[in-house]
Amino acid sequence: MLFRRAISIAVLLASMATAQAFDDAKYPDFFGVWRRVNLRVAGQPSFDQTKPWGRGQQAPLTPEYQAIHEASLADQANGGQGNWQSGARCMPPGMPASMNVYGEMEIVVLPEVTHILLNHNSGYHRRIYTDGREWPKAVEPSFQGYSIGNWIDADGSGRFNLLEVETRYFKGPRALDPTGLPVHADNQSIVKERIFFDKADPTTLHDEITLIDHAYTRPWTVLKSYRRDPGVYPNHSQEDCALATANMMIGKELYYLSPDRELMPTRKGQPPPDLSHFKTDR
Amino acid sequence: MRYRSAATAFAFLAAPCLTWAECRAWDETAYPDLKGQWRPIGDPTRFDPSKARGLAQQAPLTPEYQAVFEAAIRDQAAGGDGPAQSCVSPGMPRVTNGYGPLEVIVTPRATHIMVEHINDSRRIYTDGRDWPTDLHPTYLGYSIGRWIDTDGDGRYDVLEVETRGFDGPRTYDDSGIPLHEDNLTIVRERIFLDKSDPNILHDEVAVIDHALTRPWVVTKSYRREPDRRPNWREVICAETNNHVEIGKQDYMVGPDGQLMPTRKDQPPPDLRYFNRSR
Repeated sequence: MLFRRAISIAVLLASMATAQAFDDAKYPDFFGVWRRVNLRVAGQPSFDQTKPWGRGQQAPLTPEYQAIHEASLADQANGGQGNWQSGARCMPPGMPASMNVYGEMEIVVLPEVTHILLNHNSGYHRRIYTDGREWPKAVEPSFQGYSIGNWIDADGSGRFNLLEVETRYFKGPRALDPTGLPVHADNQSIVKERIFFDKADPTTLHDEITLIDHAYTRPWTVLKSYRRDPGVYPNHSQEDCALATANMMIGKELYYLSPDRELMPTRKGQPPPDLSHFKTDR
Repeated sequence: MRYRSAATAFAFLAAPCLTWAECRAWDETAYPDLKGQWRPIGDPTRFDPSKARGLAQQAPLTPEYQAVFEAAIRDQAAGGDGPAQSCVSPGMPRVTNGYGPLEVIVTPRATHIMVEHINDSRRIYTDGRDWPTDLHPTYLGYSIGRWIDTDGDGRYDVLEVETRGFDGPRTYDDSGIPLHEDNLTIVRERIFLDKSDPNILHDEVAVIDHALTRPWVVTKSYRREPDRRPNWREVICAETNNHVEIGKQDYMVGPDGQLMPTRKDQPPPDLRYFNRSR
């Protein structure tokens, strides 16, 4: 009788602990500093990391948005910023370009939310809600969008090994890479992701991203890969674009800043900024 | 004997949790529940929320840095660039002022304090690491923390944090109270829930800095929003900030996209790098 009572107490205590405690052994261990795997393709990090940036991406753009991309390339060739707002304006790349991971990435998994902390230009933060919520009726658009995720035990091992995510409710302008590979101005993009460890290499993480966007003739799926810093106590760096940038946008013109932070032209013959708001008799 | 039987039964049931999950199992019930959205109690534009802004803060500055502060106040009154006008990180300890909603993410290896306003989210390492030998200076500094069970109840209730390794210039608040330009600041914090109200969080902040005559200690408090599924707004400073710094001058970009002065008779920027014959 007493033994049965002891069992009952123990079971009760164990179930209480289960209800409150987060069993992180059920989730993959994403701890650490993650960096994009550099596949040595030409150009800066892009959406499809297996191909060179810009035209080399062979993006399935509609003719209208192909022309917008070409205009961005032409503007950049002439010293402009094109469609890529992230650099000169210190803006976040926004999704899905955030997952290009220009700097470092940290992933913090909690039962109700997975945080993706990105360090490029500034600290940016994705929240992927995994608490079973539905899409809210009203969402304020954002560069990172609103993400709902679902953990999956894909191989029946009793542990989650796949995070499926859908992200909506964007604002813009956003682009997919520094050449200004555009997304549609309507910002109706839907981004679907599958985040999982490489089965053969637990230091490599994959993010299979499918972009559904009206600027594209079909859904565009790419596979991204990231590698974990091997350090036991990894250090996360801090980037501060506002402090470090040598670019400045004034109106629609891009200028350089000299080492003494004076304005310099970015192209031959570029006019200086209009100073009509200043007293001219000086 | 009966007690021993009961204890054995409990150990038998609990043992699989200890061996199967090994060290990966994280008992979050050992940590205080800091989930949710926290907003400051009091004016977030002040370092010491119990005192008025500016000189009324009575910051224990050395005479040299009191003069620097008063010069900053005069410059701002003339239209100069205050510390809140750029999108550079406010840095520590100003980020503790809570000018945006805070989220505290507790894991065994680190506690994150997310502010998400201007590059101001903090990472406090609690994994037992030592100070790195090659500390790269930053505005937020490098934070190492330690969880303490102060009342011996088997649960952590205080996070003690020390932050070093700063870059600058930094200020305590929007009024421009300065920290020393040597950036050798040390910030010590004790972060804990209020004992009588678990929806109030305190951060006791002690700043040790060569611009001060003594450590400056203030206690900040934050209240948890009742909604456990709060709305988190994305705030991008660069998206709306129309202040630009050229040379050593602060200018504004007007609605017409043209440069404007921020104070009367301000000279225009130096355009020596442009071909002025055009």
